[in-house]
Amino acid sequence: MDVHAYLKALQQSGIALGIRDSLYWFPTLEAVHVVALSLVFGTILIVDLRVLGVASTRRLFRRVSGEALRWTWLAFAVAVVTGALMFASNALVYFDNLSFRIKMVLIVLAGLNMLAFHFTEGDSASWHRSVPVPTLSKVCAVASILLWIGVIGAGRTIGFTIRGAAAKEAPPPPDIDFDNFLDSIPDAPANGQ
Amino acid sequence: MLKHFTDWLAATPPSHFLQDNQAWAIPTIQTVHLVGIGVAMGSAFMLTLRVVGVSGLDQTLLEAQRRYLPWLTGALLVLLASGALLTLAEPAREFFSLSFRLKMLLVAVCAGFAVWFGRSVRSNPAHWEERRLRDAKVRAIAAATLVLWVAIIFLGRFIAYDNIWGALSPAAQSGQ
Repeated sequence: MDVHAYLKALQQSGIALGIRDSLYWFPTLEAVHVVALSLVFGTILIVDLRVLGVASTRRLFRRVSGEALRWTWLAFAVAVVTGALMFASNALVYFDNLSFRIKMVLIVLAGLNMLAFHFTEGDSASWHRSVPVPTLSKVCAVASILLWIGVIGAGRTIGFTIRGAAAKEAPPPPDIDFDNFLDSIPDAPANGQ
Repeated sequence: MLKHFTDWLAATPPSHFLQDNQAWAIPTIQTVHLVGIGVAMGSAFMLTLRVVGVSGLDQTLLEAQRRYLPWLTGALLVLLASGALLTLAEPAREFFSLSFRLKMLLVAVCAGFAVWFGRSVRSNPAHWEERRLRDAKVRAIAAATLVLWVAIIFLGRFIAYDNIWGALSPAAQSGQ
């Protein structure tokens, strides 16, 4: 089974159909996704700013990261679930969307950057005011902030570059055949944004 | 009346500029808006966790307030500016949206509460630490403000879908 056949099966699944047919499902998934991403970015930023010596500098690094990152992971899981459901609702279109692919690559890079940070961290349990943070760790913190802003930007751009975007952000006309949704939309210039 | 205002606003040069460049301007401003939401939510969330006693207990309430509240208010200013630009770009879409109106109301309530909270804590930290935070009702109110911030995010996203309100949507009522 090639990937497009699988994606087609995915967007014809009951749950994908349910999301497309409902007036409320997609906006609600988007809203939960925004709440989740705001907590992912907001809590990671708190850790990055501590590494950079901008904020929370009187507190142990381990304490700041410990209390923030558990929420980062929880929020990230919520973002993955809501994102996956939105993806399923229109899988073929998202899969071929350039902004979507850039977003996925940036998330992977953010994950690798997190791994890199752990290698630079060394004996970080004792980081506090009097112990200077290694320069490489600071580089990772800057990269983390930039990568997550990139993820947010690419994610927001998806909604403006998909074919049929107009149908998404406005009430769908009643005569759209959602079962043959893709075939009913003329080809737009490829990702013109 | 309101229609006159939104028509006038949409005809101003800055609005025209945003409309002419909407392909890149709107996603860019929305990205700034989302980053602002991230800073605001992260700050409000961690400060609330300290207030309700879930985490951050190695710092005093005054320290936690000093760490997070300036970032919250700073982010709110960025949100106000970027939100104003988004409204300028599509005045009728915003002003005839029930979600937008409810959102502005909640933003005023929550921002006002945050500013009052900061001032109150700074003027009498001991009273907050030793009395108010031991009151379950105060902690419940703090948790409720977090729910309101989440509601603001929901309403913000729902601006693009005001038809979900059906006949309650001002756009539906005025035939926008």
